[in-house]
Parts: sequence; structure tokens; C-alpha cells
Amino acid sequence: MRFRLPQRINLVSTILWGLRIVVAVLVLAGSWATLSSGKLSPDAWRELVVFGIAQGSVYALIALGYTLVYGVLFMINFAHGDVFMTGAMTAFFVARNFGESGFLNANPIVALLIIFAVSMLTSMLVAIALERIAYRPLRRAPRLVPLITAIGASLFISNSIRGIYGEQSQTYPSIDALQGRLDLFGIPILKTQALVIVSAVVLMIALVYFVERTRTGRAMRAVSEDKDVAALMGINVDRIIVTTFAVGGLLAGAAGILYALVFNEVDWFMGFLPGIKAFTAAVLGGIGNIAGAMLGGLTLGVLESVGPFLLLGGANVPSPNQLRDVIAFTVLVLVLIFRPNGILGRSEPGR
Amino acid sequence: MAELISRRQLRRVATIGAVAAVALLYLCMVGLIEAFKDRNVVTGVITLGAVMLLAVPLIAGYRAALLPRDASASRLAAWQRVLFGLVVGLIAGAVLGVFVVIASAVDVRGVLVRISPPLLEFLSFGLPSALAFLAITGLGGLTGALGALLLVSPVRIRNAVTSAVIAVVFMSMIEPLLRPRLEQLDYTAISDFVYKSHGLTEAAAILFLVVGAVAAILWQPANDLVRRTVDAAPVESRRRIRRWAIGVLVVAVLILPQVSGTFLAQVAVLVGLYMLLALGLNIVVGYAGLLDLGYVAFFAVGAYLTALLTSPNSSLGIGLPFFVALPIVMLGAGMTGLLIGAPVLRLRGDYLAIVTLGFGEIARVLFESDALQPWLGGVQGILGIPSPFPPRIDLDLGTMHIFATGPQVLYYPIFAFCALAAVFAYRLSNSRIGRAWNAMREDESVAEATGVSTVNYKLLAFALGATTGCLSGALFAVQLGSVFPGSFDVFVSITVLAVIILGGMGSIPGVILGAIVLIGLPELLREFVEYRVLVYGGVLVAMMLLRPEGLIPNRNRQRELHEADSEEEQETLDGDLMPQRGTS
Repeated sequence: MRFRLPQRINLVSTILWGLRIVVAVLVLAGSWATLSSGKLSPDAWRELVVFGIAQGSVYALIALGYTLVYGVLFMINFAHGDVFMTGAMTAFFVARNFGESGFLNANPIVALLIIFAVSMLTSMLVAIALERIAYRPLRRAPRLVPLITAIGASLFISNSIRGIYGEQSQTYPSIDALQGRLDLFGIPILKTQALVIVSAVVLMIALVYFVERTRTGRAMRAVSEDKDVAALMGINVDRIIVTTFAVGGLLAGAAGILYALVFNEVDWFMGFLPGIKAFTAAVLGGIGNIAGAMLGGLTLGVLESVGPFLLLGGANVPSPNQLRDVIAFTVLVLVLIFRPNGILGRSEPGR
Repeated sequence: MAELISRRQLRRVATIGAVAAVALLYLCMVGLIEAFKDRNVVTGVITLGAVMLLAVPLIAGYRAALLPRDASASRLAAWQRVLFGLVVGLIAGAVLGVFVVIASAVDVRGVLVRISPPLLEFLSFGLPSALAFLAITGLGGLTGALGALLLVSPVRIRNAVTSAVIAVVFMSMIEPLLRPRLEQLDYTAISDFVYKSHGLTEAAAILFLVVGAVAAILWQPANDLVRRTVDAAPVESRRRIRRWAIGVLVVAVLILPQVSGTFLAQVAVLVGLYMLLALGLNIVVGYAGLLDLGYVAFFAVGAYLTALLTSPNSSLGIGLPFFVALPIVMLGAGMTGLLIGAPVLRLRGDYLAIVTLGFGEIARVLFESDALQPWLGGVQGILGIPSPFPPRIDLDLGTMHIFATGPQVLYYPIFAFCALAAVFAYRLSNSRIGRAWNAMREDESVAEATGVSTVNYKLLAFALGATTGCLSGALFAVQLGSVFPGSFDVFVSITVLAVIILGGMGSIPGVILGAIVLIGLPELLREFVEYRVLVYGGVLVAMMLLRPEGLIPNRNRQRELHEADSEEEQETLDGDLMPQRGTS
């Protein structure tokens, strides 16, 4: 970050500097207190970090959807969290059916693949419908208009799902093959978490391949660079935008199942918090930047899982885990205020 | 007439039919039909659920008859248009029919929880499968054709029919409001004539149909007459007319709770609280153009500060009188507005929205957390907030007797504050400050270049919005007598936003109308509670797509929102989207 003395002390920069100092002091004091008290064993820390990476990879997958859409349309698809939720909620019924019929444990790989496919397809369809109905007519509107639409769409989708599937939360059936731990270089990792991390990595590699190596991916990059010129080059901009939403939806659908593997429970409201956190992750990494979304997701996941214990545990704050959402939102606020271009974002935004 | 229907028309008819079919299935699956299938509109004749179902093919038929906008449209004969409507209705009905047949044969409740046997019986009219399918399809086609007929019929008839139907539905909807009051005032004869088991009687339905139709027919000439008279009147008497109109309105607002009884007063109190919130948010969103999604934070701060200062049970335990505490609360909220506003000012619109949303959530989590429980009471909240208003008023003024309890009393301070906020906001919008906000909203860099200090004006908007919001919060705390963190979730922010969007950003009459429609109406439909947020979401999307300037638009805002329509180049839009530089 460039350092420049303010030319004139004013209210706003005073408040900003105050904020910086307060945050720095809190972080340092909190970590010091926790680390010196030695409350948590190294094993417990390792557990927290691995869990953080697992949930971080879920965030990263959702964040990719935000970033992709932002890349081509420069809008925050606020309803993306709900796209993620629809997939997980719909695939639950397939999973429950498989669980009851025993197919899930007899043939876990095939069953999981089918569940993934159902979730991804559902999310993709919702994302496409969203673009077609809610966003396409508003491409030329002032920039707050699509954002308000997106907020409305988010409420509409989540409450529709609440009406259609009911409002109680559902528990995904457990898979025998994924119980227990895996020994990785001497570090025991829960098998589900290992699966989540591996699947996320595979999907991200697939995405990078798609964007960097395929024809459609190239067209997508061209559209994100300049829509008009891309159109002149014979690229069907509308189709590329739909494709972008579709790819974002596919990743969100996969993230939905991974989320269900980590947390087991799904409900109609599960899209809201992960959605905002994934957006945070996307901004943290630099919105519009694919590698940034992945990095941001992992960073946020770890911060959120380690943060409450590290910062608050030593200060004898009761139930620090309640405040994990505060950590995520504080990161969001701080990043947006102090480094809106994110970790990997160009300091001078290209657009 | 070249052919019955062109390929293009066929495709559009099929599309509209499919959309209508999806809409019908959606209404059934999401549970709206189930919720409203027993709510009578005309008892024994039709229920609200049926009205909703019929509305879909009706509107679809109307839309189908409207098509297409190209040159061939003028050559379409009326009977062709009705045919389009019929086909659309048939498609929609057939799809629903197939669904009903399948759902009756296979139990789908494991997944679609709302498809219950009573719902299916309602949909199939209790007929066996094959007949039910035919009946649903036929009814769909009939309604679709009716919708198309409405389009091809003369405007006057169309208006009369629409208004008659709206009159009947409206009168049946206000039953929970009107009937108890009529009975309380000993007009049982009227109430028995109009209502029967929560719906209208047939006789009353016919009466209201006629009244609605006549009103629609007379509306145009009456409106013209009034307008002509007013226009013809000299300026002086015109001003007098306006003053009289405002006077009548004020009196109507003042005696409303007396006439209407406690139930409506309670609804009005809720409407008033949201109206106050919306007037405050309107300053931030409507005037300054800053989309604040964490507005609930100010509402919460107002409520909690009031609770802390006035409740003897709070951690401060000082128990100040309400009106002593109020200035401190407002000051505190204004400070909070500055503190939240300052860091986010330099963010561009969409980031600002998300950051404020984050602030709102942080506030809620903090209020709820065990960590701050000793001060803010955690999940249990703070109890025992004394009300500065008497629980009941019993005045005997010789000729008239005034008696009011609970919400009927609270109604007055809330509306006084609303009126104050409205007048304040109105004066602001026409002041130097309002013009500065206008300029800033339309183009920040130009405003800055012409000497508007955008930072200061944004902060001012935040602080004023916060103060208004906290007023509402303070009254809310007093009304409930306690505060709980659960009352301050993100949906409050969204509701207030929906109120503003529906009414029109930056328009005070719009905000008032929005609060009445979005907060007041759902209270009348108790079955509706669960679907409130769903409808708010739908309202946000629909308004942005169809009428972004709101129902009663602010003139400046309308112009801004339709600017892009006339612009041909995408370039300007891209320029608009350009991120501003980050800070420091």
C-alpha cells in the first residue's frame, strides 16, 4: 500500500486512521494474549486450519461465480449465494433417496457423482434463468438498478425454496466410506475435508483450463476486456454472458454439495452468509481475478476458523465462535475500505 | 388475412403459454394457493386462492392478445386475438392439469411439501383424474380467452370490469378490519349483510361489482370536471382549495384511530414506524444516492440506546425519562451514522451497499453475542422500557367523548414524528443541501468540480438518515417495552428498501404510499405472513424491471433512470461503471 501523509487532517481520514490503529491493536493484543496463554494445543490449531481450508475452498468456488460475472458485466450478482443454495437443497432429495435405498453406501462414487451433477445442473439452470429474466433487460440501466434487482432476486429465490421444499433444515445422509481420518504426511485429516479440498482443486483446474485454453474461454476473456470490440470480432456477447452465468452456477452447485459434506445441514437460508462471505473472498483476492478468488476464499476460510480463537480466545471472551461472522464481515469492511482492489487486483483497475 | 397464425406469432403464443404454466405450477408449489384456498372472497363462490390461479391465465391471455408489436399486428382480427388468449389459457391449464393428475397418483409430498391432498382436491374440484384434467384445461382456456376479450373490448368496458373486480377483492380483503369494528359499533345488520364467514355475501359482491363499475365509468368525467373547475378558479381560491384539502387530510389522519378501533391503530403504528424508517433511508438512498443496506443498524442503535437510557433494568440502570433520553439517543445515532459513513464514503455504489450490509450484520451479531451480554443483554435483550405515553386516554369534553387505549395513543406521537420527518425531508430536498445531493447523485465528479463537497454532503445524508432511523427505533422500543436482537435482522433493511423502491426513490408521497401498501396490506392478510419477504423480493425485481422510478416518481429521479434509454452508446454506461480510485 502506498504511504502518503494526508495533506490536511480532516474528519474522514482521522476516523480511518483511528480505525486502522484500533484494528491493529486489537489483533496484536488478542493474538498475544491467546498465544501466551497456550490455551489451544498445536493439534487443535492444525484442526482449525484444515477446517478453514476446507470451508475456504467452498467459499472459493462460490467466489469464482462472483468474480466471473463481475469480470464480464461489472455487477455484483447478489443472488449468487442463493444459486448455490438451490443446488444443495435440490440435490438433497436425491441424496436422501440414495441414502434410504442403500445406493449411497454401496456405490459411493457413482452416487456422489450423480448428486454433484444434480446440484450443479440445478444451480446452472437457476443462474441462467436469473440472467435471462432479471439481469439482461437491465444491462444499460444505472448501476444501482441491477444491484437492487439482484437483492430482490436473492430474496425471491431463497423464499421460493422455503415455500417449495419447506423451511426446516435437512441433514444430508452420511457416507460410510467418508468416515474417519486420512493420514497425510503424518497429519490426520478428516476424509470429508480431504474430499472437499481435492474436489475444489479439481474444479478450479478445470475452470482455469476452460478460461485459458478453450475457444469459449477466450471469447469470455475478450468480452470482459471490451464488449463492443468483442462483438465486432464476431463474438456473440449475449451467449458468452449466459455461459459465464452457467459456469458460475455449475461451480456454485458443486460448492453446495461440498458445503453439505462439511456442514451436513442445508436449509433455505444457507445461501445468505456463504454468499456474502464468498463475495468478501472475491473482493479480498481482487474481484474479476480468478486466481484472486481462489486465494481470497482460502484466506477468508482460514481467517474465519482461526480468527475468533486467536483474537478473542485469550481475552476470555465467552463463546468466541459466535463472533466468527463478525470476523468475516470485518475483513470485508476493512478490505473494501483500505484495499478495494484486493490482494491480486491491479492497483489501477483496468476498467 | 393471409393465414390463421404466423410462425412467429405461434412461437410467442407458445412462450407465453409456457410462462403462464410455470407461473401456475409455481403458485401451487410455493404454497400460496394452499395458504389462500380457504380465504373466501365471495363466500361459497370463490376464494382468494382461486382468484390468484385464475389471474394467471387471465393476464397471460391479455398479454397474448396484445402481441405482436410488428406491422402484422394491425391486421389481426379480434377473433384471432381471442383465439391466442384461448390457446395460451389452454396450454397453461393443460400443464397444471397434467401436474394435478400426476400428483394425485404419485405422492410428491416428500419433496414438494405444499402439494397436499386438500390442495389437490381444491385444484381438481374433487373430480376424478380424467375429468379434473379436462375441467382445469377448459377453465384455463376460458379464462385466457376472457383475458383476450378484455383486451379487444373498448377501453371503457375494460376499465369498468377491472375496477369492479378490484372493488370486490379489496372489500373482501379488508374484512378482518371492517367487520369487528362494525360489530363493535353495533352495525351488525350491515356487517351481516356484507360478510359471511370471512368473505362477502353474494348480494354484497354484486353490489360492489356494480359500485366498482359505476365508479370506473364516472371516474373520467368526474376527474375532468374537478380539474376544469380547479383550473378555472382564480389563484387565490385555488390556494384555498389546496389548504382545505390538506386540512381535511390532517383531520382524517387524526381521527382515524378513533373511528377504526384498536386493530387498525395497531397496523397504523407499524406502518408509521416503517414510514419513519423509510423517510430516513429515503434521504440516504433517494436524495444522496447511497444504497445503504445496513439501515437496520440505526434502527437497532436507536432502540438499544433508548432501552439502555430509560429502562431501570438495563446495565446502565439510570432510567432517564424518555424525552430527556431522546436527544441523547438522536445524538448517539447521528454519531454512529458519521462513524459508519466516514469509512465507506469513498467506495462506489455497489461496494458501499455490501459494506453497509456487513455493518448491519455486525451490529446484529454483536447485539446477540454472549460477549456483550452483560451490557446489551444478549439474546434476552433488555426488558422493562417504560412508556412516556399514558396507557389510556379518557377525556370527556362535554359534547364529545374521547377514549383511546394502547396503540390508539401511540399512534399520535408516531405520526407527529412522521409528519415532522416528512416536512423536514421535503424542505431539505428543495434546499441548497437537497440540490447538492441531487448534483452529487447525478454525477459525482461534476458535482465536486462545481464546488460541492461530496464528502461532507454524504456524511450529512448518513447522519440525518441515522437520526431519523433511530427515532423510529426509539419509538419501537417504547411500543414493545423491550428490545430483542431478533427484531433487527437484515430483513428490516430490505423491507424499508422495498418500501422506498415501490413508492419511488426520493419521493415523499411515494414513500408514504409504499409504507401503507407494503406494511399495511400484509397485516390484513394473516395467511400472508410467511410470504412477505418473497413478495418484497418480487417487488424489488418487478419494480426495477418495469418501473424503476416507483409508483409516485420524483421528477429528477425519473429523468435519471430513463436517461440510458435514449442513449445509444454503451460507452457512457461503461464510463459510469468505472471504479473510483481506492483510498490513500
